[in-house]
Amino acid sequence: MNYDFTEKEFTFFVQLHELMQAFTSANDPEKEDTAAIGQTTRGALAKLAETPYLSLGITPQKDLGLLSLMGAMEVLAALSPSLFLSVEMSTRVFGRSIQTWGNADQKAKWLTPLLAGKLVGAVALSEDALNVENEPLKTTGVKNGDSVVINGNKQYVVNGPIADWLAVAGMLDGKPALFLVEKNTKGLVLENRMATLGYEGTAMAGLRLADCTIPASQVLIPAQGQASLGLLRMWENQVILGASLGLMKAALEAAKNYAKTHKSGGRPVIAYQEVGFKLSEMLTLVQTSQLFAYRAAWIASDNPKEAESMTLCAKVFCTESAEQVASNALQILAGAGFMSGNVAERAYRCAKYGQIAGTSTEIARVKIGDESLGARLS
Amino acid sequence: MDFAFTKEQLMFKKEVIRFAKKEIVPRVQEHDLNKEFDFESFRKLGEFGILGLHFPEELGGGGADVITTVLAGEALGEAGVDGGLTLALGAHTFLCADTLFRHATDAQRKKYIPKLASGEWIGCMGLTEPDAGSDVASMKTTAEKKGDKYVLNGSKIFITNGPIADVAVIYAKTSPELKHAGISAFIVEKGTPGFSSGPNIIKMGVRTSQTSELFLNNCEVPAENLLGKEGDGFNMSMQTVEWDRSALLAPFVGASTYMLKRCAEYAKGREQFGRSIGQFQAIKHKLANIRIFGEAARSLVYRIAWCKDQGRPLNHLEAAVAKLFVGDWSMAPANDAVVLHGGYGYCHEYDMERIFRDSRLAPIGGGTSDIQKMIISKLM
Ligand SMILES: Cc1cc2nc3c(=O)[nH]c(=O)nc-3n(C[C@H](O)[C@H](O)[C@H](O)COP(=O)(O)OP(=O)(O)OC[C@H]3O[C@@H](n4cnc5c(N)ncnc54)[C@H](O)[C@@H]3O)c2cc1C
Ligand SMILES: Cc1cc2nc3c(=O)[nH]c(=O)nc-3n(C[C@H](O)[C@H](O)[C@H](O)COP(=O)(O)OP(=O)(O)OC[C@H]3O[C@@H](n4cnc5c(N)ncnc54)[C@H](O)[C@@H]3O)c2cc1C
Repeated sequence: MNYDFTEKEFTFFVQLHELMQAFTSANDPEKEDTAAIGQTTRGALAKLAETPYLSLGITPQKDLGLLSLMGAMEVLAALSPSLFLSVEMSTRVFGRSIQTWGNADQKAKWLTPLLAGKLVGAVALSEDALNVENEPLKTTGVKNGDSVVINGNKQYVVNGPIADWLAVAGMLDGKPALFLVEKNTKGLVLENRMATLGYEGTAMAGLRLADCTIPASQVLIPAQGQASLGLLRMWENQVILGASLGLMKAALEAAKNYAKTHKSGGRPVIAYQEVGFKLSEMLTLVQTSQLFAYRAAWIASDNPKEAESMTLCAKVFCTESAEQVASNALQILAGAGFMSGNVAERAYRCAKYGQIAGTSTEIARVKIGDESLGARLS
Repeated sequence: MDFAFTKEQLMFKKEVIRFAKKEIVPRVQEHDLNKEFDFESFRKLGEFGILGLHFPEELGGGGADVITTVLAGEALGEAGVDGGLTLALGAHTFLCADTLFRHATDAQRKKYIPKLASGEWIGCMGLTEPDAGSDVASMKTTAEKKGDKYVLNGSKIFITNGPIADVAVIYAKTSPELKHAGISAFIVEKGTPGFSSGPNIIKMGVRTSQTSELFLNNCEVPAENLLGKEGDGFNMSMQTVEWDRSALLAPFVGASTYMLKRCAEYAKGREQFGRSIGQFQAIKHKLANIRIFGEAARSLVYRIAWCKDQGRPLNHLEAAVAKLFVGDWSMAPANDAVVLHGGYGYCHEYDMERIFRDSRLAPIGGGTSDIQKMIISKLM
């Protein structure tokens, strides 16, 4: 047992923070313009490639333990939730798919440039109104000689409008597969970019595949079959955990600093129990969430049997805490909090996403309950 | 960072669960109903080695590390041992015996620790007074030095094990004009003239623990019964906080695992509308909430224990966070567990209603949730 990061891990977090703080203050990653988002994401990936960040959780890193990824995610998400989501959906979800299911050629083609910060990826999993947890995928590939012809619709694809490559989940010969589709491939149609409540500096869109044809070498066949979709979800859930920690950290910091400096009745407002005690509850949720997310990440790498349910438990707790902490932060900042563009308001808007995306809070609770009743998860 | 227990720690936890299920749990409900202390169970805890787990072997202890000691508490809760017995254990071992172990003279240690570790004697700790609860420094009990004796006067309230204790650690002011710095700690044995206890106070939960007032009426103790120096008392009481935030919280974590298992069993067996209620999402929702609470609380509690094993001074912020979380967030899952059992959950035959009542102490005893928030907001 050890509840501490090592000194080297701490140093890495500090360096990462400094590097990316400089970057985010020079390039506002919360801007809504799609072209700007593409540019900022690429710029950030190039910066991050100077550090071990992109490789964390994908290839083992000297001096950085298993949980450095969660710690580093928290740092980046606190600086910019939108940039974080763009980077992570590409690096950790797209990247881990290639790392886990790709052959040597495929890794050379996609993973190498990805880890060098030169490729933006996206994963297209969800389909219209259906949540993959409950219904089979409708997107299908059909073999045609050395090619595969894909048809289907996808919703809410993070990085859709800016990605170089999209990993599209679908069925091939009755089994789940990931189809790697390059942007501008004929038959791949991106819908209009979606306007969203939060993460407005992340580009999301639905997409259609109409007789979209790719070479068979661009297909990944996960060995785990149906369970591979669960794994994809779990990676997405871990990204959302990191996002929640970052949102909370930023919102708590902002509220705490304000409460210590803003005065009312001659005293800093933290001196009033209505404010100070709210901050105490927020800090309690933040610390509990941190340990919970770290422990879930540790179990995910140490004990695959428990990985899914612990990740779901942590996800429900951390995403609901994030909304509560952000809400209270906004409340403490009061009028200043209600103004657009401040950290608490942004965290408040972004927090809802965590409870919806990945495995939704409702489905997660049902699954956790199922497991308590003796059911095995995916 | 890693969260692994050692194999030995996990094996020991299993052993404690097996022991408690066989030797203690069968009597829990009856004693709760009768509001009686279970002397037999307490003796068995002593025989098994749980009462003195962390004391050195030469004093009759088990020489265990803090994590193992905390695991034992979790194991008792997980086995279904009631909060009354685990509270009695906590007051005995951590609030009383540990204070003696740390601050008494060698001769006093040799006299008390083996007896307390075996369960031959029962210990208690008296800090709270009728008019001084959260505001400890306003205590009115005094200790006046007269020659080679101290004369204690005052009264204490809500003292766990008060009516059954053989020895007490009593906090009193040696300098009443001072606040925290005026507090000192004394060993007072049962039977000392002028020392008496009131009857067991009837409580909402933790009913097998015996709680009472203690009266000190010109109670004379030898000067060597002063623990440490005059004025050290407040710091001594703060040292027990480390145990309070780890070993005393662990049974609540264990109880959540117990509730989860019992609720799952019940949900599978109980049929309504032609199917087991476990098939309803509303039931799964409650099971999920119980599980999530337990997993969330667990790391907070073990973090305190781990830091203590590393020999670090207590991080008061983290300690208050653990206490506040277990205190305030344990209510909802306990409530879920009752409701999941429907009408049966409200009845004594099933132990969910007892766990619900027992867990109500978590945000009050050992410093209320408000006081934890006060500490956190000050340290922020
Ligand atoms: C901003 C954003 C970004 C996203 N990014 C991506 C992405 O990059 N890639 C990707 O593949 N997907 C992405 N998603 C999709 C996301 O994973 C889905 O929105 C999510 O899985 C929920 O699916 P749904 O919206 O179709 O809701 P539905 O599944 O239709 O659910 C509607 C409501 O019913 C509840 N519900 C549904 N079924 C059950 C059940 N059996 N029991 C109990 N309750 C149930 C749900 O919890 C929800 O409250 C994103 C979503 C958003 C909003
Ligand atoms: C079953 C049980 C066993 C116990 N065992 C022991 C024992 O063995 N030894 C021992 O010494 N004590 C023991 N206690 C006492 C326990 O520690 C006290 O009850 C507790 O510290 C609260 O003190 P109080 O009851 O006097 O409440 P008070 O301090 O009077 O508090 C009343 C209410 O006011 C709130 N409050 C107080 N001050 C503030 C403030 N500054 N800001 C905001 N809110 C505030 C409190 O949170 C509470 O809600 C036990 C109590 C119980 C119920």
